[in-house]
Order: sequence, then structure tokens, then C-alpha cells
Amino acid sequence: MLEALKFVLNEHIENRKLIFKLAIVNMNKQTMRTSLGVLWLYLHDFVYFSVFVMFRILMSGGGEIDGMHSVVFLVTGTIPWFFMQEALNVGAGSIKSYKSILKSIKFPITIIPTVEVTGIFLKRIFTFLFIFGVCGYFGYLHCFNPLLFVYYVFCMLILMYAVLMTVSAFAAVSSDFHQLYTVVLRVLMFTLPIMWGYKHISGHKIIEAVVRIDPMVYILNGFRNAFVVGGAPSLVYSIYFWLCVIVFFTFGSFIQFKLRKYYADLM
Amino acid sequence: MQNSANAIEVRNLTKEFYIFEKDYQIFRWLFSHKSREQTAFLKVALDDITLDVKKQEMVGVIGKNGAGKSTLMKLVAGITFPTYGSVETEGRIGSLINLSAGFNPDFTGRKNLYYKGMLMGMSNEDIDNILDDIIDFVDLGEYFDLPFRMYSSGMGARLGFALAVFSNPDILIVDEVFSVGDKNFQAKSKAKTMELFNAGKTVLFSSHSDDQIRNFCNRVVYIKDGKIAFNGDVETGLEMYSEDVARQGKKK
Repeated sequence: MLEALKFVLNEHIENRKLIFKLAIVNMNKQTMRTSLGVLWLYLHDFVYFSVFVMFRILMSGGGEIDGMHSVVFLVTGTIPWFFMQEALNVGAGSIKSYKSILKSIKFPITIIPTVEVTGIFLKRIFTFLFIFGVCGYFGYLHCFNPLLFVYYVFCMLILMYAVLMTVSAFAAVSSDFHQLYTVVLRVLMFTLPIMWGYKHISGHKIIEAVVRIDPMVYILNGFRNAFVVGGAPSLVYSIYFWLCVIVFFTFGSFIQFKLRKYYADLM
Repeated sequence: MQNSANAIEVRNLTKEFYIFEKDYQIFRWLFSHKSREQTAFLKVALDDITLDVKKQEMVGVIGKNGAGKSTLMKLVAGITFPTYGSVETEGRIGSLINLSAGFNPDFTGRKNLYYKGMLMGMSNEDIDNILDDIIDFVDLGEYFDLPFRMYSSGMGARLGFALAVFSNPDILIVDEVFSVGDKNFQAKSKAKTMELFNAGKTVLFSSHSDDQIRNFCNRVVYIKDGKIAFNGDVETGLEMYSEDVARQGKKK
């Protein structure tokens, strides 16, 4: 286990420049031939978000969720989720998409999911400005805590790196796994407090506990803390979150370390 | 490295491929404590191979399709890993395997050189230094600044060949790629490979053309069913190979 962890970390440190350079290249890859480039992505997000807001207003006429304006509640949930959703979706297939390269060039395989997540993050970095915009419009900007914001963005990135280490490895060697994973990802969104707040499940202690098992909930709560609620993160939940990260990362390294010699044969 | 005069040392190399009928069986192989034979179907591609290639030597590898030539090449290039035994190499390796892999169809030829160079571990300055030589060598004209998806397969292979060769490797691994490109380019690529040989490079070369083996190599390794059947003089090796082919033809 320790050997695997050391190997993966080493490969990341040795290739840190390559990770960054490749991430920047990947960032432009998909939208290179379009007229709007990366603006398309922001347009997607904006429209998607507007649909959420409209639904909310049609269903229950706006109002407040968990003590904040519903639009602010939605924006602090959806924007981080859009990033995590794309990272989880695209990152899962990342090793698979390097198939032809792995079959013909000697390449540091374990950095591939990291490259992909970093690229997606850089591409989406300006979507976070959107949260500032909405919060400013509804007069919540004085609640903003930059320290918490940076901390939770960091948490979000680390969690994605850790989870995708395992997922990308399994998805590369098993299409069965990839299919199952895609289904789970579809459902996942509705189990997260993005569209609904804790007031909807208040009184159901068990449901609330189950919801909180997902470490992504820590991040979504965190973004609302950073922008609106304020206050330090709960100690117990923080410890749980970082334990999750460590477990994911160690397990992922172990899998990558074991599979790295077989990718070229198995794909 | 046991001998410092060697550029490539292959010791008791065995390569087994795992074949799974269904994807999920991979997990049984990954996590169960059962032996590999019980969880996966094994196909032995190379069986206990030991081989030395000296520095500045040009070794030809011959054998039937599926005998294990490409497997050996990929193992030496570090793309795949041995099941048992070891492969040691000294110096930078340039592998001419699947030449147009790693190029992005939407990038121009120029940008692709930087991109694939990056994947191969070269810096932008490294590419800057050899860019003019490559442009001159591949002779793509206006295509060089057009997207890669517009290239013919021969053009893509030419770009890949040029990048691998001009990246100044110490060991060049050539897997049946001299048949790429038109006649003009074939002549050029041969000349360039000869130049590398004279510059003191080691070349491991697989081909189905007897003439190419005669032209290039000073030693030949004949691989038969994953084992080395012959290792030595070029003419004897080629003769042995063609005898085997003839004998098999008769049997059928």
C-alpha cells in the first residue's frame, strides 16, 4: 500500500509541469473548432441554472430555502456541482481516452485523471464568478468569507483527484463498471442538497445522516457556508471528509499501481 | 546492466497476456486470492527470452505474424511490462511503433509536434531546436500547417517517424514501419536510419522484408512461437526462417 502511494505521489511530483501543460492543452481541445470557444460552456451552465431557478419559482414561488434566498441557495449548489459532475463524468473515461498513446508511448499513467480534472477546473474557473454575481445581486456579498471559499475549492479538487484515481482505472479495464458508474452518477444529483434544502428533510434524522455520507455534501454545505452562512466547518464532519479522501486516495493509488503494468494489454 | 558494452539486456523474459471473456472477471483477478491461472486465461507470448544488444549494433528481428516480435519491441520500449524476467536499457529510447498514435486530429502538424513531443517528455525548446530539420525531412508543404485530420495515413506516419528519429534517441526501436510513405520517403527514412547508425546509435529492427534486414542489420534474431530459434549471422538466420516457411507451406 505504502509503496503504491509513494509511487503515485512521486509520479505526480516528477511530472508536475507536464500535468499543468497537458491540462491547458486539454482545456481547449473540445471547444477549439467552435466560434465561442469556452464561452459555450458558460452558456450551457447559465441556461441549465436558469431552468433550475424557473422550476423552483413555478413549484413554490421562489421564497427562502434554509434561511437564504432560493436563487442564492441554487447558485451555491449548482455551480460546484456542475464542476464535479463534469469531472466525474469525463474523468472516468480519461485513461480510456489515452488508449492509443498508452499503447505506443511510454507515459506516466497515474497522472492522467489528475490532468483531466485540472483541465476541467481551469476551464470552469470563471463559473465561480457567477456565484459572486448572484450573491451580489441579492445583497449577500458582505457574508462572503474568502478563506472558507479557498478551503472548500481545495477540498473539492482533492476529492475529485482521489475519487477519479480509482474510477478511471476501473472504467479503463471494465466497461461493465463504467456503465454502472454512469447510472449511479445520474441518480447522485438528486440525493445531494442542490435543489432541496435541509428544511425539507428536517425531522428525519436518519435521512439527513444518510445524505451526509456522501463527501460531496460536505463541499456543497461548505460553499453555502463560505458565501452566506459563515462559521467554521464542523470538526467531526471535516474529519470524516478527510478520512474519506485519504481512503479514496490510498485505495486509488493501490489500484493504479497494480494496474499500470496491464493497461496497454487489457485495453 | 551486467555488461557496460550492452545497450539492451533482456534476461529470462516471459510475457503472458491475460484474456478475460467478460469484463467483470477482471475484478476477480484483481481481488481474489486465487492464483492467476484460476481467474484468467493466460496466453504466453514470449517464453524465457534472453538477449543482449551491444551499443551501436543493428539487430534485426524476424519471425511469423504473432510470433512475438512486436511484443518484444514493446517490452524493450517500456510500453508494456514483463510478467517474469527483466528488460534493462541504457539511454533514451525512440520507439517507431504505431507512428501516428498520439497526434490530435484537430491540431495542425506543427502543433502536433509540440503536443506529441510533450507526451514523449520533450520540452518546447527541444522541439524548437529540431523543428527546421523535421519540416525539411517530412516535406509536407502546406499540409504542415493544416489540421492533422486532413492528412493521409502516410503523411501522419511520416510526421511520427520524423519526430521519433530527430528526437535524438540512443536506442531506436523500429517495428515494421519502413513500409510507410511513398518511395521517395522510404528512401529518405532509410538514409536517415543509416545516418543514425553511423552516429553510433543502437537499433532494434523488425521487418518482413529480407532485403531491408540485409541492408541494415549486422545480426538477426529469429523468434519462433515466443522463443528465440536463432541468434547470429544474418544470412543463416534468413535462410532458416525461409526454410521453416517453406516446410510449413508443404505441410498444408
